[in-house]
Amino acid sequence: MWPLKWKKREQEYRQQREEFFEAVKRLNRREFMKIAGLSAAVFTAKQVVPPHSFQVVDVVRADPQEKPLFRFAYISDTHLYERELNERFVNAALRAVRDVNALDPPPDFVLFGGDLAQLGQPKELELGKQILSELKVPVKMMVGEHDWFLDMGEKWRELFGPENYSFDHKGVHFIVLMSVNEKDFWTERKMTPMERMLTVAQLDNPIQSRFEVGEEGREWLRRDLARVSKDTPIIIFSHSPLYKYYRPWNFWTEDAEAIHEMLFPFKSVTVIHGHTHQLLTHRIQNIHFHGMLSTAWPWPYAPEGLPKLTVPMERPDPFDEADGTGWGTVDVHRDGYVDKHYNLWSRNPITVAKAYLESWGKEAVPPIPEFPPY
Amino acid sequence: MRTAKWFLLVAGILGIALVATSWDRSAAGAQESKPSGGSDRLVVQLCDGETKLEIADARAGEVLPPEKAREVARRMMAAYAEQQAKQVSKWTARDRLTWEREQKRVIEEGYKLFHDWKALGGTIGISCDMCHPDAAATHPETYPKFQTQLKRVATLRDMINWCIENPMKGKPLPPDDPRMIALEAYITSTRKGVPLEPGKH
Amino acid sequence: MNGGDMRRAKLLALGLIIAGFGLGLGGARATSPVPQKFQIRIPLGIPADLWEMMIPADNPMTEAKVALGRDLYFEKRLSVDNTVSCATCHDPRFAFTDGKPVSEGVGGKKGARNAPTVLNAMFNEEQFWDGRVKTLEEQVLQPLINPVEMAMPSHEAVVAKVRGIPEYAQRFREVFGGPNPVTIENIAKAIAAFERTLLSGDSPFDRFMAGDPKAISEAAKRGWELFKGKARCITCHEFNPSSPFFTDFKYHNIGIGMKATRNFEALARQIQQMAQENRLTKEALDRLALTEGFSELGRFLVTRQPKDVGAFKTSPLRDIELTAPYMHDGSLKTLREVIDFYDKGGEPNPNLDGGIVKLNLTEQEKADLEEFLKSLTSDWVRRVARGEIKLAAEPTSGNPTPTVARGSRSWRR
Repeated sequence: MWPLKWKKREQEYRQQREEFFEAVKRLNRREFMKIAGLSAAVFTAKQVVPPHSFQVVDVVRADPQEKPLFRFAYISDTHLYERELNERFVNAALRAVRDVNALDPPPDFVLFGGDLAQLGQPKELELGKQILSELKVPVKMMVGEHDWFLDMGEKWRELFGPENYSFDHKGVHFIVLMSVNEKDFWTERKMTPMERMLTVAQLDNPIQSRFEVGEEGREWLRRDLARVSKDTPIIIFSHSPLYKYYRPWNFWTEDAEAIHEMLFPFKSVTVIHGHTHQLLTHRIQNIHFHGMLSTAWPWPYAPEGLPKLTVPMERPDPFDEADGTGWGTVDVHRDGYVDKHYNLWSRNPITVAKAYLESWGKEAVPPIPEFPPY
Repeated sequence: MRTAKWFLLVAGILGIALVATSWDRSAAGAQESKPSGGSDRLVVQLCDGETKLEIADARAGEVLPPEKAREVARRMMAAYAEQQAKQVSKWTARDRLTWEREQKRVIEEGYKLFHDWKALGGTIGISCDMCHPDAAATHPETYPKFQTQLKRVATLRDMINWCIENPMKGKPLPPDDPRMIALEAYITSTRKGVPLEPGKH
Repeated sequence: MNGGDMRRAKLLALGLIIAGFGLGLGGARATSPVPQKFQIRIPLGIPADLWEMMIPADNPMTEAKVALGRDLYFEKRLSVDNTVSCATCHDPRFAFTDGKPVSEGVGGKKGARNAPTVLNAMFNEEQFWDGRVKTLEEQVLQPLINPVEMAMPSHEAVVAKVRGIPEYAQRFREVFGGPNPVTIENIAKAIAAFERTLLSGDSPFDRFMAGDPKAISEAAKRGWELFKGKARCITCHEFNPSSPFFTDFKYHNIGIGMKATRNFEALARQIQQMAQENRLTKEALDRLALTEGFSELGRFLVTRQPKDVGAFKTSPLRDIELTAPYMHDGSLKTLREVIDFYDKGGEPNPNLDGGIVKLNLTEQEKADLEEFLKSLTSDWVRRVARGEIKLAAEPTSGNPTPTVARGSRSWRR
């Protein structure tokens, strides 16, 4: 009797999931609001504001006089699966979009930090584009390895444009740098595109090569930087960290030193990177490095190589499917350096302030967790 | 008559050649393990690959006459029989080989399962390595401990099953499932040598 | 000095020494006598050492104090119009709740929250649905002066009223001593001491855990397995021998109250504003907690962290069969409704706790869970609720002797 009932329940559940993904597929505004958990009545009533999350308390600033120049938000590492398989990651991405849209005042733009798809599937990428298109402010897209290695970026370029580009915003020069290239490991092994993708998708797979910007990318960067004065603040969006943290998990950029050499002459450089799914802080001379949270799941901290400046987030509780995940915002100051806000969904928000890095960890120290990672 | 003699001669030569060549092999082996101290006495190895016999009245590299060769062979057999008689352990090198091979095989099996959500019955595409690359943060040396998700003191396999049921949205593995054993084997193998600290949080 | 003087001097000296000695002894005698150990039978399932550990040093248990506290607990004159006592909302007949979705105070004024039980409340990390006070003593102080509860104008007014009741003067003096024993702190201490005798244990489930396999039905046993397993209850409704209260004492947003179309952001900003202007006193917080709208902010009122909007304390589950309706706003009427609510994954909202997910329980599983929950009812509590036991000065589980309450005042309302 019992197994039969379980089967029926499973069928019901699958049907509900089917309906859910049908709705996501359509994803016009009405559908979006409905599945984002807001009632239709709320949607039509103009006066009433639906419950949404918000950043209420303004963060502690080292210098209260110094207001930031502007703010942008980030959503990163959504790792979307195809619709039949996993709704948890889709819900998380929707939640991030909703939270960013609720920011008041709205951010200047949103950075998407890479790994939109989990297995580089065209359907996954399209789903991601649909979800991100609900953002009310412009989105700057950045590619991750999960988006790239099925078709070497063909679909990505079609949907989102070139993988290397730069733009200027309020006096700051932004560079979006493709930093997850890998030397060919698949041809000699006669791998199919899917096998290649699965290899790269497995963080601890030793077969894949280490991430690098690569010669072409470095050349592109050189030419881009040549047009920028040394006084102009630079912010680089990169998926891999652009430094060397832990090689086995590709928390690593092989040609990091070459990149740093290009950046040392500049007055202020900040790198905002994805891939690591954790709170991460580092500094090399004039370059500040900040990691982004993932909306999908947290990575553990690596057994070695953790930058000293990093105050880790407390180890996440797997009972809470949102623990260790979230999104965030970045306050950009006049000198180009930033305050990085981590909006962890199940925790109090954490800020890593510019003053913390500037003082090499002496001031504005973020809260230290009771249970640090293993 | 002549055929018989001829036959005997060939057999004799073959026999000597056989003894000589096999002897040469062990002599070659012996040469690698020459006893220090100058004298190049003959040392032969028994078939367990470990025990060595020193032949006092023979030189390494020397070609022995048949009676001598037979004597050496007899002494080797006697040493082997003595060894068998003195044997305390019921386990042999062959057994140990099997144990190692099986352990390795099961650990590799566990590695595969660790990275394969379908094989574990997961239903939403989440595999163990997604939160635990290289089995990081599995801390098997801390079990049994109070597991906050289970709200009781639990073992590693309790937690493995909890993960399969919850984040991976599969059905927990039944006890004695070989997959569970493989997972435990792999996970613990990554922490070999780490001191036991049950209850550590 | 002459001989007579010498003798007098010696006598004087001797007298002084004796007097001093006597005073010293007398002084020793004048301090409190060796305290009697308070007799209480801890019900099965509650660790006795935990009970002892949680008695505060500044409010030890004595028979007289507990009896005083009991009478104050039922004392309607503690309210402004003499109609509401603690027992009005924390009524023994409803396992120390009141059977209403939200409680009603003086003049039938409605608050915004469902009355939690006093049973085992001494073991709570913090009191109230949002944990805004820590101890039982602090909790007593708040309803006394809340306009929708007992509506006294101030604590001083409460004290003045109690002082005016001659039966209490002597008892306060006996229990607390000192020149001015009737103070608001002592009133709170007495009531808290009484509350520390209101324990719930000795349920069929406790007997099952103690080793009696027949104590609960097979359905309840299956429900217990579900509680620990597929239904994921135990992670928030923690139960183990060291913490047998079915709560983790933490705060979770499961979506109750989040369906309403309220502007939570505006409400939250107001709270932030008040905090910045130092206007969020204990009293103000207490009133806001029972004010419609603000009440739904839950734990946010205390921590003012956005993630705590709509988060409320995990309710303990003992005697849950008797304490309907459920949730902080009493919005779920039956246990089945509660189970269905969790089964569907709570109510989606931006702050939904990440531990709340769809459960996909079958009908059988839901029925088994309900059976399990019903096995958590304490025998003693059930008999008190039925009126078979009247609360005496030494309420315990097991076989308390029914006695008529002291004086003309009975325990009944």
